[in-house]
Amino acid sequence: MAENTQFNYGPETLSEISSLSIRAIQLVEGLLSGHHRSPHKGSSVEFAEYKDYSPGDDIRHIDWKVVGKTDKYHVKQFEQSTNLKCTILLDASGSMSYRSPDSKSPGMDKSDYARTLVAAMGYLLLKQFDAVGLTLFNDVTVSHLPPRSKPSHFQNILHELQDMEFKGVTRVEEVVGDLIERLPGRGMLILVSDLLTPEEDVFKTLKMLKSRGLEVILFHVLHPDEVTLPFEGDLVFESLEDDPSLGLDPFDVRQQYQQAIQDQIEFYTKNCPTLGIDYLFLETTTPLEQALRYYLLRRKSLRKI
Amino acid sequence: MNFSFTSPWFLLGLLGLALPILIHLLTRRQQTRLKFSAVYLLQQAKKRSVRKSRPNKLLLLLLRCLAIGFLCLALANPILSSGDLENILTSRPSAHVFILDDSYSMSATSDQGTLFDRATQTLTELIEKLPNNHSFSLVLASNPSRMAQNWTSDKGSALKWLKAVQPSHRTTSIGKAVTVAVDLLSTASQENKRIFLLTDMDQNGWDRDEFPSALAEDSRIQVKVIDFSKSQKGLNRALVQRVKLNQEFLTNRRVIRVQATITNLLSDRAIKQLPITLFVNGKRQSESMIDLPAKGEATHEFSFPLLNNDPVTGYVEIQEDALPADNRRLFTYQPNRKIKALVVDGDPRGVAHQHDSFYVEKALNPFSSPMADIEPTVSTLSEFSERDLKQYSVIILCNVRDMAIGLEQELEKFVLRGGALFIGLGDQVDPKYYNEKLGLLLPVTLKSINQIRAKDKPFHLKAQPSNHPALKVFSGNMLKEMARIPFRTLYSVEPRRDRTFEIPMHFTNQYPAVIESNFGEGKVILFVSSLDRDWNNFPIHPTFLPWIQRWVKYSAQGLENISRHDITVSTPLVLEEMEQSPLVVAPGGKISIARKKPQSSPVFNDTHRPGVYELYQWSGASTTDSESAPVEAPKQLPADAKRLGSFTVNFDPAESAPGKVPEKELAQYFPGAQVDYSPADQALNAASVGAGVPLTTLLFLLLAIMMFWEGWIIRKE
Repeated sequence: MAENTQFNYGPETLSEISSLSIRAIQLVEGLLSGHHRSPHKGSSVEFAEYKDYSPGDDIRHIDWKVVGKTDKYHVKQFEQSTNLKCTILLDASGSMSYRSPDSKSPGMDKSDYARTLVAAMGYLLLKQFDAVGLTLFNDVTVSHLPPRSKPSHFQNILHELQDMEFKGVTRVEEVVGDLIERLPGRGMLILVSDLLTPEEDVFKTLKMLKSRGLEVILFHVLHPDEVTLPFEGDLVFESLEDDPSLGLDPFDVRQQYQQAIQDQIEFYTKNCPTLGIDYLFLETTTPLEQALRYYLLRRKSLRKI
Repeated sequence: MNFSFTSPWFLLGLLGLALPILIHLLTRRQQTRLKFSAVYLLQQAKKRSVRKSRPNKLLLLLLRCLAIGFLCLALANPILSSGDLENILTSRPSAHVFILDDSYSMSATSDQGTLFDRATQTLTELIEKLPNNHSFSLVLASNPSRMAQNWTSDKGSALKWLKAVQPSHRTTSIGKAVTVAVDLLSTASQENKRIFLLTDMDQNGWDRDEFPSALAEDSRIQVKVIDFSKSQKGLNRALVQRVKLNQEFLTNRRVIRVQATITNLLSDRAIKQLPITLFVNGKRQSESMIDLPAKGEATHEFSFPLLNNDPVTGYVEIQEDALPADNRRLFTYQPNRKIKALVVDGDPRGVAHQHDSFYVEKALNPFSSPMADIEPTVSTLSEFSERDLKQYSVIILCNVRDMAIGLEQELEKFVLRGGALFIGLGDQVDPKYYNEKLGLLLPVTLKSINQIRAKDKPFHLKAQPSNHPALKVFSGNMLKEMARIPFRTLYSVEPRRDRTFEIPMHFTNQYPAVIESNFGEGKVILFVSSLDRDWNNFPIHPTFLPWIQRWVKYSAQGLENISRHDITVSTPLVLEEMEQSPLVVAPGGKISIARKKPQSSPVFNDTHRPGVYELYQWSGASTTDSESAPVEAPKQLPADAKRLGSFTVNFDPAESAPGKVPEKELAQYFPGAQVDYSPADQALNAASVGAGVPLTTLLFLLLAIMMFWEGWIIRKE
């Protein structure tokens, strides 16, 4: 299927990704059974354990046979195998369309990198029978695909990615504020963005998502140019968003710019774990499989079950 | 403050300024536009950054432009001057007309020689400083204004001429000189045209009507007036306004009286005891002192005896002041041996003694002797109109009825110039003609004839001693005899309004007998009865002879007085009385011909030097007049040359007037033109410090600073 897309991910990438078994660390509530364990114990198909009855427990779940044998009240607990509902939020603002002026620049364009990442994640999750949705946003929600677990849903995702256009201004706060009601109560939210926005309260937004019980994964994608500002000479920087053009010699501001970017990365690197948010900074030169593998391994190692 | 450049061609190098600007613009055009994601971060970074690469580029551009500019300016050798004189002298190719006022008022003394010396010195410096690509011409402003040097760039010959030039003795005509200058400038091709006027601003010669109107039409012409009047040392206090000579005939001592009129030019104070001296034939004849009222004039009379009948030349001189030229006035005089009188007979008869003029002629020259003091000539009325009145000192009209039309005007001219007119009446006289046509000459009108019948008592002269010069010799028996003379007929007269006259003799009935009046330089004497025996017996009495002779001698002046020529410098002399072209010997001995054109009198134009000019009749005159080709004047006076007379050429007193043209009125003389005024001191100072302050060194220093600065900025980056 990937061969028919216009994306620059090869079959190797997809097959490699599919070979990895992604499992969410935390169980999510889902309708469909999958490889994920639900953290919520209750009546389900699969027995888990007994526990002493305590007032408030549903008396329906008392194992009367055991009561008969031991005269003790035990309540049967079931392990609920649920589907993960994952929503991928892809930043579709203009800044994501940055292409290096240097044609020999290593790695892929930022937009392609982000799309590949989203497709890979979607495929991976669908492969695990999890429900995947895709929301594109800039300053508003551009499109919203609700999570589905059908394998054919991958086509919808690919179609959406194929048709999308990177434009407009990044407004994470507003979009998430609008979107938050539509998101499943519990599940996973993967945010793919360059986080290049003058907004100051992005982290607050992430905090709010986390407080809603969502598993939040933040992929911070930047082109190496955006990290190092390698340009020379007298340049007029035209914003891909709505900032006014700025003529300057990059030499004059390089140090300050690099510092600002590094400060931002450091901020997220330091603060995201405190909220339980998985943050991964990705330069577009980083091989995707490497990045994903690194991430999945990291998730695996943190698995509680 | 003005900039000027001695090598303005280097300013073309300023075009090189385009080079760094072009490079800058081309670089700007190559400026890359880059679509970038994190512009807001760049903006924040820029705010924090202290490095300024872009402003430095602009600064570098500025420094490089300044460096090129300073280099070009330095090579062009700029000069900063406070006045505009240097600017004029060092700017683009220009045409200058230097008008040099060489009138005699410029010969007033200053601290360094005369004003004229200072003017030529200033002009010399101006010409020396002229760049080689400027052309100039020289115009002299004395009247008649004339070009002294046509367009040239050859300073050498002009400076040589300036060394030799002397102030003239003429008056000024600035207007005509400016006209000459404007005409010259109209032929100049240069864009910049200037007139330099070096003058003492003497009011005389600044006649607005003489200034050209063309000046306003050519806006490129600038006028620079350099005023030397402030350099004058001392004041021009006084001048000899005029000198009048009169030969005394009434006494037998043969005396010349010299009346000198001196004018005080100071308006604010009188001059006391101004020494005045008379020089005759090169010798100091007499000295005196004269008091002059403020802004007024006074007359002093000298007299000296005539020793012979040789021509008298001399001058009256006053004490020297700032302008020596007008302190002396020349005169010349040809003494007369006898008085020439013309007796006009208005009623000629067949018998000689019945002529009205008979007794007069006999009384004037009783023995018809050529040695007599008076030489009467009798003329009829018809001959009278053909006579040349200038040949006579006295004209006596005897019972003339009237005269040909226009003759009364000739008579008026004759009296105005100093001639004497004696009128005797008679039965032929037409009182209407006398009253209407001779109104200017006669101070009275003829009213009516008073005739005494035979049996009645006749009129008698009121004979009494008189102080009148003509009558004071009559006394004693002569008066008694005169009182007995019967007058049977006489005219009663009535004075004209506002006319002054004297009545030296009355009749016993208080009727005026003789009425004397002055008209111009001459005198008119009216005897109300006849000069023959028709109305009285006076002519046959012995007292008639001295009586008529004394009146003639009293009223007569020397013939030279009437025909004398005293002209001002550069005024052409028209010798009306001469038939042929005479030779003129100018002061200094230069001989020239007063040339005569057909049907006109000889004219002598070369009267540019004050002095005594001698006139000679010569044999070449007829050839000169008859041939069309002009004959050269002889180098030496021909042996057969006969002296005709002399005339004087004196300074025109108008030029001595102390009035100056005010600076603020200058613009009115040059409407539409840009007029600059500067006193001579400033003009000289400006010229003497050279071409202002050179800025070359300063500019090279600035260039070095610019280059050092540029290098520092590049190194810093």
